[in-house]
Amino acid sequence: MEKKSKLSIFTNGLIKENPILVLVLGTCPTLALSTAAMNGIYMGLALTFVLTCSNIFISALKRIIPDSVRIPCFITVIATFVTIVQLVIKAYMPELDGILGVYIPLIVVNCIILGRAEMFASKNTIVDSAIDGLGMGIGYMIALTFMGCVRELIGAGTVFGMAVTVNFLTPFSIATLPPGGFFVFGCIIALMNKLTKGKVREKQENKCMGCPGSSFCSKSQEGGCDQ
Amino acid sequence: MSLGKHLRGAHVDHCKNTAGMPIIPMTLPERVSIPMSQHIGAPCQPVVAVGDHVKLGQLIGNTDAPMSAPIHASVSGDVVAIEQFMTQNGRVDTNIIIQADGKQEVAETVVPPVIDSRESFLKAVRDSGLVGLGGASFPMSVKYNVPEGSAEYLILNGAECEPYITVDHAAMLSYGKEMIAGMKTTMKWLGIKHGIIGIEDNKPDAIENFRKLLEGEKDIEVKALAHTYPQGAERVIIYECTGRVCAAGMLPINVGCIVSNVVSMLKLEQYFETGMPLVSKFLTVDGNLVAHPQNVEAPIGTAINEIIDFCGGTTGEVKKILLGGPMMGRAIPRDDFAILKSNNAILVFDDLFANRPDETACINCGRCVDACPMNLMPARLSRAYKDKDVDQLREYNVMTCMDCGCCAYVCPARKPLNFEFRMAKGLVQEDDKKRKEKEAKN
Amino acid sequence: MADKHTNLIVSAAPHVNAPQDTASIMRDVCIALIPAVSVAVYVFGLQALILTLVCCAACVFMEWATRRIMGRPDTTSDWSAMVTGLILALNLPVSMPYWMAVVGCFVAIVVAKQFFGGLGQNFANPAIVGRIALFIGFATQMSTWAVTPRMSSAIVNVAGADAISGPTPLGLLAKGSAVPTNLEMFLGNINGSMGEISAAALIIGGVYLVIRKVISPVIPLSFIGSVAVMSLVFGLDPIFQVCAGGVMLGAIFMATDYVTSPITNAGKVIFGIGCGVLTMLIRMYGSYPEGVSFAILFMNILVPHIDSLTKHVAFGKEKGGKK
Repeated sequence: MEKKSKLSIFTNGLIKENPILVLVLGTCPTLALSTAAMNGIYMGLALTFVLTCSNIFISALKRIIPDSVRIPCFITVIATFVTIVQLVIKAYMPELDGILGVYIPLIVVNCIILGRAEMFASKNTIVDSAIDGLGMGIGYMIALTFMGCVRELIGAGTVFGMAVTVNFLTPFSIATLPPGGFFVFGCIIALMNKLTKGKVREKQENKCMGCPGSSFCSKSQEGGCDQ
Repeated sequence: MSLGKHLRGAHVDHCKNTAGMPIIPMTLPERVSIPMSQHIGAPCQPVVAVGDHVKLGQLIGNTDAPMSAPIHASVSGDVVAIEQFMTQNGRVDTNIIIQADGKQEVAETVVPPVIDSRESFLKAVRDSGLVGLGGASFPMSVKYNVPEGSAEYLILNGAECEPYITVDHAAMLSYGKEMIAGMKTTMKWLGIKHGIIGIEDNKPDAIENFRKLLEGEKDIEVKALAHTYPQGAERVIIYECTGRVCAAGMLPINVGCIVSNVVSMLKLEQYFETGMPLVSKFLTVDGNLVAHPQNVEAPIGTAINEIIDFCGGTTGEVKKILLGGPMMGRAIPRDDFAILKSNNAILVFDDLFANRPDETACINCGRCVDACPMNLMPARLSRAYKDKDVDQLREYNVMTCMDCGCCAYVCPARKPLNFEFRMAKGLVQEDDKKRKEKEAKN
Repeated sequence: MADKHTNLIVSAAPHVNAPQDTASIMRDVCIALIPAVSVAVYVFGLQALILTLVCCAACVFMEWATRRIMGRPDTTSDWSAMVTGLILALNLPVSMPYWMAVVGCFVAIVVAKQFFGGLGQNFANPAIVGRIALFIGFATQMSTWAVTPRMSSAIVNVAGADAISGPTPLGLLAKGSAVPTNLEMFLGNINGSMGEISAAALIIGGVYLVIRKVISPVIPLSFIGSVAVMSLVFGLDPIFQVCAGGVMLGAIFMATDYVTSPITNAGKVIFGIGCGVLTMLIRMYGSYPEGVSFAILFMNILVPHIDSLTKHVAFGKEKGGKK
């Protein structure tokens, strides 16, 4: 892999390889938690912490971990950090624990973390991996918060809990329900593709190299999909 | 088998404007141009040379290939040229051009054949130059040359399900007796027990005519068919007349049937009586631009525009000329082609049917499924063709499609469905070929 | 010598077409809905007409705008957006705020139809998706049923003399109150969504569609029939159940949407029975008093599977095997 500047590794996760909107990883907590903008911030912070720490550790341990058992090893590392986050939240922010609920422990199996561990941390230096984790985590946070804003605005008429349209328009509450989640998610991905058309196309030439789904995606054999 | 009592079809407007009109012999054309390939199978070789004088009914083209029918001069006169050019089929073919002398002297070879055995009967059928006149132009001698005792039914196809065309109807009214005589001869020498004349019930006078002629006959019956298109398609008429299923890839004889067009049978009988081979064709000339729509008898090889002129010419700007009916007929790019044995109608139109309306999205209405006589699902086939999905095409049995056009006729989205399936069949055949090659390699 | 014609138009057979095309089919559906709209205007007043027009205009405009933005050919001339608008409007209570109705049109045309590729590609009936989105999104407004003096005394009495809204017949039944007579149910002197009140008007429209061969009666009959049978099984009055709520509107106009119903007759029977049974199950055991649109939406999603179950066997082929 060619050498990339530290800044490009960081910004990579924000837009070009945004874990949600371009890589489409970890959509389950995305859809479930993006009902309000604030959830996005909390979940984003938790995930950024776990992702950065696990990236650092996995990168540090990459020479020790045998290839054949790398996935269980990754999971163990990730689970450690997730447990730390979970216990901290439970101890100091019980209301938040009520909101994020099961999705905090589920970070263990979140594809973003496992994906970055597999794709980036196990091949790069510790510093690069830390920056990648930070970038990816913040990218996740931005996407989740943006989705949360849209859904909260349409579905509840507020943004970050502040009234915007709720006082004069009845909120269209379906936006905060699962169907609305899928709809907003799809629209934002479409918008993202439209805006980053050139950049996304570039990736296609690598024939799904960057796509974590390439091993089971039938389109990877046909020379790439639209993502 | 979950086929109903009757096969499905489309209720196409009949437009039989010329119904009841007699068949009028056309004034002799000045010259005729007779292509050497007027049937499915091997083309004939000219047996006359430029400068030869030929007489009416004289053999001018023949070949040794079994899948063929000889070709005869349709006028008396001089062979002025033997040239290669495109015929109405879009193929480049050898054409014998005869300048008519207007005398119509009958050739010495035209004598009634002596038929005293199965072999001499089959030879007579071949010498008559007859091909299936319904449109497929399958050499009749090949069709009749079936294993002895294998044929149980001789079906005379008088359905004439295509709109506009009325020549078969006219012929059935005027020549019913000859047709029955021809049937009897054929049944006698081929050992066929049952004869059925299938006629659509929109021609009650023809049905009545045959019923009267057949009073007291036990072997031949008249069957009134529903007037839905395509009753005249071979597989459909076999099913409707005998209940037998002639699946795709099978010949009618595989289910014990021989199907002949009514005019083919008439021409055969006329050959038995006089020895005059097939030299002229009955044609319906119609369409909204023909001044005097009518049924005419034209020598084979006459140019199409001369026939239209004989019917008073056209009354507006010609946009489309069809050979055959509007459901399966072929649109031709020019009107100076010669008439072949297989033609049975010339339809001339202005904008009326000129352009197919623009295709829109399939709305899954199911009209095509309800119309398909072969019980196919055209909407699904069309989707499979769009995806070039050969396996799906096979699964939905595209090869069973007989290109009748019912689906495209009823389609409210105006999709050219049967045209797509014609292409799809090509895909499947190509794929079959590839598979076979692969198997051969392994 | 004859004039020669060259450069004639050559095209593939067949050269003729049946008179019906997509636009004429859709136009017929619009015509068939006129009686239902008329009854709505009679019972609810002019507001019903205005709401209907708003929905139609919004749907057609959105169809035009979406196609334009997506850079695809304009399809407003096929009348399908108009049909969606009409049916969606008839699924709304008359008191629905206009902007909410427009949101419903947006969901129907843009989300349910154009996002999936436009006419012919939508997995579910756009009008039903629009209705359900509104029903979930604006639950209060979607279940406020206006009461007018032209309605059955059973409804007016429960609502109170001065009330402007009251429960529908199905709501009354759930409460155990007196319900309107079957004649009132049939004619439409009841409250509810604008289009579903009068079974008589909907049946007139349905008969028109069947006569014009736009729809086959298979789906409506199996749908309504199974609702009737199910209500007998539950010991309910079948005529009341069939006339109440959206059964008639759903069975005649929404379940028969070509795109989202099975293509074979056998499939249509399965589809219709499925819709009817689900409707009654939702009415009896669901938390909503009415289940027609959910039942149809659910069956819409099953259509591809029903289609593959009811494939036709081609002429000359044995069922199951390849010959």
